[in-house]
Amino acid sequence: MVTNARTMDGSLEPAGKAGTWWFLSSEIPTFGGLLVSYIVLRLGGSGWAEASSHLNLNIALANTFLLLTSSMTIVMAHAAVQENDHKRAAKFLALTVLLGLSFLIMKALEYGVEIRHGFLPGSGIFWSFYYGMTGLHALHVFAGIIVNLVLCIQAARGSLAPNGHRIELAGLYWHFVDIVWIFLFPLLYLA
Amino acid sequence: MSAQSRHYLIIWFWLVGLVVLSVAAAWILPKSQAWVLIFTVAGAKAFLVARHYMHLKDETWLIYAIALVPLAFVFVLLIALFPDFVYHLTRR
Repeated sequence: MVTNARTMDGSLEPAGKAGTWWFLSSEIPTFGGLLVSYIVLRLGGSGWAEASSHLNLNIALANTFLLLTSSMTIVMAHAAVQENDHKRAAKFLALTVLLGLSFLIMKALEYGVEIRHGFLPGSGIFWSFYYGMTGLHALHVFAGIIVNLVLCIQAARGSLAPNGHRIELAGLYWHFVDIVWIFLFPLLYLA
Repeated sequence: MSAQSRHYLIIWFWLVGLVVLSVAAAWILPKSQAWVLIFTVAGAKAFLVARHYMHLKDETWLIYAIALVPLAFVFVLLIALFPDFVYHLTRR
């Protein structure tokens, strides 16, 4: 059952959606604070560009492609559930989960290469930020994968029907994680 | 394919195209110009995802308020810390 919350102007908003946006709004200062600290310290310090030149741009580009594509597949799942096509929604959710897992595997490979080259979280302030920000982001990707997997199983079994709106809520979270990466990618790999 | 799905696919092509543009800018342009373009493009990508994939274009003022207030705080934090790094830059 979808519960609605009445806003001050009298319009109705699904309570789950408003709650999800509240949650995301609490995440904005978390990632925003890290990004702002990174920008300010980088602009005020030296040696950051040299440190970031050791990162693997090709892996990051592939990961950007994977996350952008997964954002598209989860919104396709949402479109499918709006058309009451739960089987198609399950397929798109499965694809989203696979793309998310691929992102994490690529990230783990990238960490492996960097650690083998001696770049650890304690190797300097750039590396502390790098591991901190990308690690926190990867944890969010992992959480999103679990949510999407649960929804995928429910959609495949046909038990999602009364709660199809949950795909939209999971999608909001997943797109937020994508947006965080949209800013992490240029800050760490291109700037 | 429904019109809605086609729309989402077109947005995806735009997003991929903008990634290519930002990588090309990092290689081709001088650093200061590249920075401006890269972060403008990142903002455009975030806007496309939020407006079309998160359906912000169809949302009520309540959702905008929830999303924009913390963003404003982050912006204030950035502005508040600017004098600090300008001070360090001028001391070098």
